[in-house]
Amino acid sequence: MNQNQFMLDRGLFGWIYKLLTPVEWVMTQVMNLFHRFLVFLGMSPVGLSWILSIIFLVVVVHALILPMFVRQMKSMRRMQALQPKMQHIQQKYKGKSDPASKEAMSREMTKLYQDNNANPAGSCLPMLIQGPVFMSMFYVLSAIPFIARGERAALGAFDRATAQNFSATSVFGLRVTTNFSEADTTGKIIISVFIALMCIAMWYQQFNNMRKNLPRAQMQGQQYKIQQAMTWGFPIMYIFSGITFPFAVLVYWLTNNILNMLRSLWQVYALPTPGSPAAEEKEIRDHDHENERRKAAGEISLEEEKLVKAREAAEQRETEGYQRQQPRRKNRKK
Amino acid sequence: MNSSPVARGMGRAIRWYQRRISANTPPRCRYYPTCSRYAYEAIERFGALRGGLLATLRLLRCRPWSRGGIDDVPQRYSVFYRFSWSKAHEEPRLTPLASDSKETATQ
Repeated sequence: MNQNQFMLDRGLFGWIYKLLTPVEWVMTQVMNLFHRFLVFLGMSPVGLSWILSIIFLVVVVHALILPMFVRQMKSMRRMQALQPKMQHIQQKYKGKSDPASKEAMSREMTKLYQDNNANPAGSCLPMLIQGPVFMSMFYVLSAIPFIARGERAALGAFDRATAQNFSATSVFGLRVTTNFSEADTTGKIIISVFIALMCIAMWYQQFNNMRKNLPRAQMQGQQYKIQQAMTWGFPIMYIFSGITFPFAVLVYWLTNNILNMLRSLWQVYALPTPGSPAAEEKEIRDHDHENERRKAAGEISLEEEKLVKAREAAEQRETEGYQRQQPRRKNRKK
Repeated sequence: MNSSPVARGMGRAIRWYQRRISANTPPRCRYYPTCSRYAYEAIERFGALRGGLLATLRLLRCRPWSRGGIDDVPQRYSVFYRFSWSKAHEEPRLTPLASDSKETATQ
């Protein structure tokens, strides 16, 4: 990387980052405020406090995005739950291609979505918002060394003095602005450990998703093998990009990956895809929880309830035979 | 048809969009009919200015957190037809009106 020019300010990306300036401004302010708070608590203004502020910023951004993410997951699950009803409607209009039935089918589908608060188009926007937010976080951390050297204008809370203050930060003798090739041996080891942790977090997230959160029907065949092989792709890409970025960006990246992994683990645990092994586990878990609740409340367990119902049914068969009672209109006159 | 040249131009622009741009993208509407068809119908029925206003409001209604669903051009003109207190308010229809169908609309 050319150290005398800030590459992110050039070309198409430069234009996008210019548009994102308000977001970047807010991020610098959040970091600076948290840093001032840590200094107020008695930490040294140069040193670990800046690393903690980076981590804090990532945590804040994730916390803001989490509600959106949960909304999206729930909407997707609602869509999946509607699948049988959708198939029912499709079955009804099967083989009919005249405009009137096509229109009627679209209307019925839209009504179904509307009544169930689900929307096929509703779930992609949060993803579109997330991207730029993480991009600007990355941009801010990459820009700080250039601000400190006076090669870039001040950005939000980071004027030249603050940026120099930030750049002077070092952990275990490793300055936050150095990258892999500039670092000494200890620095190289620290950076390698960081990249390794990043890779492990990313890999485990994908591995866990593949193993537990896919419907069983999709967990076989050629495509699944390819997907499994792909889980190794991203971590390897990290090794190449990780050695070119300054240490501050790596701190952000590692925190981000760990938080992503935790969120994904939680998602697989609490909101699994229907039909996947994780969903089966959740069913068993929910069953046990319900039994425990009933035990605490002094009620009979689910199995006992089933037994009681089966006995009642058997008794009914004994007394009334196998003939089904025909349903009757309520207001029938004899 | 007694529509103004402006209305006809807008209608043609919408048809061009439907054929050239919209046809190449996957369906992704939260409303039925789609915004472009809604705009076409509204402009055809109420003219460039009033129909255009309805179409603009519809476009503004298509955003995240809006529920979507069936939303036809109202039978009588009102900007507030979505509210239940409006005289122009209509319940969502599962079947199209006879006057909406192609055979009668184009004549």
